[in-house]
Amino acid sequence: MSVRITGIGIVSAIGLTVAENLSSLENSKSGIGKIQYLDQKGDYLVGEVKCSNRELISRLGVKSQPISRTSLLGLAAAREAWGENKHSSKLRTGIISATSVGGMDQTEHFYRDYLNQNNPDFHVLKCHDSGNTTERIAAELGISGYINTLSTACSSGANAIMLGARLIEQGKLDRVLVGGTDALTQFTLNGFRSLMIYDDQWCRPFDESRSGLNLGEGAAFLLLENEKSIDFSGNETLCCLSGWANAADAYHQTASSPDGKGATLAIQNAIEVSGLSALDISYINAHGTGTKNNDLSESVALLNIFGDNCPDFSSTKPFTGHTLAAAGAIEAVLSVLAIQNSIIFPNLNYSRAITETGLIPITEFQSNQPVTSVLSNSFGFGGNNSSLVFSVNNS
Amino acid sequence: MLSIFTKSQMYITAASTISHQPTFKNAGFSKLIEPLKIDSELISPNFKEYIDAGLLRRMSKILRMSVTAAKDCLQQAEVDQPGAIIVGTGLGCLQDTEKFLNNFLTIEGLLPPTSFIQSTHNTIAGQISLSIGNHGYNMTHTQNTLSFEHALIDAGLLLGEGNDNIIVGAADEYIEILSTIGEHLHVKPEVNLTSGASFFIVSKEQSGKSIAKIKDIETVGLVQDIQESIENFLINNTLKESEIDLVLYSDFNDLKDSGQVSDVFKRFENSSELINYTNIIGIYPSNSAFALHYAVDRIRDNNKIKSVLIINGLNKINLGLILIESIEA
Repeated sequence: MSVRITGIGIVSAIGLTVAENLSSLENSKSGIGKIQYLDQKGDYLVGEVKCSNRELISRLGVKSQPISRTSLLGLAAAREAWGENKHSSKLRTGIISATSVGGMDQTEHFYRDYLNQNNPDFHVLKCHDSGNTTERIAAELGISGYINTLSTACSSGANAIMLGARLIEQGKLDRVLVGGTDALTQFTLNGFRSLMIYDDQWCRPFDESRSGLNLGEGAAFLLLENEKSIDFSGNETLCCLSGWANAADAYHQTASSPDGKGATLAIQNAIEVSGLSALDISYINAHGTGTKNNDLSESVALLNIFGDNCPDFSSTKPFTGHTLAAAGAIEAVLSVLAIQNSIIFPNLNYSRAITETGLIPITEFQSNQPVTSVLSNSFGFGGNNSSLVFSVNNS
Repeated sequence: MLSIFTKSQMYITAASTISHQPTFKNAGFSKLIEPLKIDSELISPNFKEYIDAGLLRRMSKILRMSVTAAKDCLQQAEVDQPGAIIVGTGLGCLQDTEKFLNNFLTIEGLLPPTSFIQSTHNTIAGQISLSIGNHGYNMTHTQNTLSFEHALIDAGLLLGEGNDNIIVGAADEYIEILSTIGEHLHVKPEVNLTSGASFFIVSKEQSGKSIAKIKDIETVGLVQDIQESIENFLINNTLKESEIDLVLYSDFNDLKDSGQVSDVFKRFENSSELINYTNIIGIYPSNSAFALHYAVDRIRDNNKIKSVLIINGLNKINLGLILIESIEA
């Protein structure tokens, strides 16, 4: 399989554009720090997008309100990915976004006021539902027709990309913007605290001492096009999405299985769909959240697939924080950047391998690497596991 | 605009609904059903027959309804493991979402995690996969009133990719604050806000279990011209309005009486039976899944009904269309 990627856009803790994100990665500059924008007590480390809602509304020229931060972040990334593309009645254009919180960033303020009987603003609830998050982005971009939202927790973004590719493969759409967006919320921050997997220190994926994740926020979108659409747009192909798969772990509502069953299935099937062999994978952008459970289960899955020949791998979550539904999309854009620029990103904050598996991630920024195929993993709550394979464009 | 012409066919081999009406394990319900009463409540089956008591205690309404309806479908179709599990939900697990909001806004210190864990939309599909140990494709679509149609389109893609015997369904649950919100936003629906879950098994081959066939599904988000969209959908399926025996439609307030859409109905009026399914089942974002079950039940009951069109206009900015045919057609 092979679907062309012709546009990318990203907003994260390490930058408001693709160029800013790339620069932070090259300079090993993390975006995680103490809370600046979120209305939440405590010294939590978070990967916030360095821009208030007011600044985002003004930058994006959004006229109608209420609008959730989730929509604003998504719009910024979707607009960058869409670029200068033109609408055409001859092309079937769609948008698929992924979100886990939707408009919760607004709803939680409403609900606090509601509980305190402090004149709650019911109107912000119009942007609560996840579907609305995507409709707002679509409306701003002038896209109508196939508008869809997926919500499979931390694998949502990868699933949106996969669904877009399948719609193109089966000839249902000519081009589709795919990605994900999630704003940082008190709801999710307190949620991961309640699960005892929020690290008060920097998150340390794949390190023996890892003890949890740092949440982030952001959005990323990719433009997928078929040949007909490229004939119209004349867009250059950045690289291809060549493999995808989704599998259920069916082990526990939140924990991953110790034998990495769902993760192994997702990786194996994605590589199979790509027509490549495991040996062809040059780099793995791991899910690597920094929790005890995920990183062990993912490491076991990597050993299941690659044995003693594990390719270079790293988790970029110490740069961006775990951006939940946006993570799969943000890491997809980083995978495209790795192929485009022949680079591999470092796994920050690593010092000692996990005892059970002994896998050692890449810890320094690497340039001039022959990166031809990248595997990107996204594993989530509910046992939702998805993997994508990106490959250099050979045609 | 997107129209699905699946490479393979899509046959419905099981259907199950838990709702405010006597729909569960009650084939032929469409004949007996009366308009929804103002004080109607969810008609709960004995969930313990389907869900382990320990798990059941922790489950919200939407999870109980969904796991039970999905398992009932597997029993009807005599399928042990479905090829995939696909769920649509407009608002997701509201009960647990509100509970966790309450918890973190009022409790100092350690928070119980259960309501957070169960607040995510994909808990529904996740709990179905857990309850039967399924490792297949697992997906959750949430596009407010079009969530079910999107789940169904995904199922069509999967059948085209060789998957089979897919559980596809939709669920939404009512919580009290929805009524308060409606009052404050000056939205006064003519029918009740309700809860409901409808699940199906769809298969690519016709078999003795096949009840009806889904011919086509389309979603039009931010719809510009409803009438034109419906006309094109019928043209794409080489059908005339007069060939549709039953039109199931939905609108917040009755479509038949309001502006733009009334023309749409005039075209069907002479030849088709018109039923507003929201008046039967109440309002929840994914109630078009009930309409599909209703259509299937009518087809099973009456061999004169060959083609049914579901026009989902519950939210005026979105249009969902599902075309169902009887097996003999």
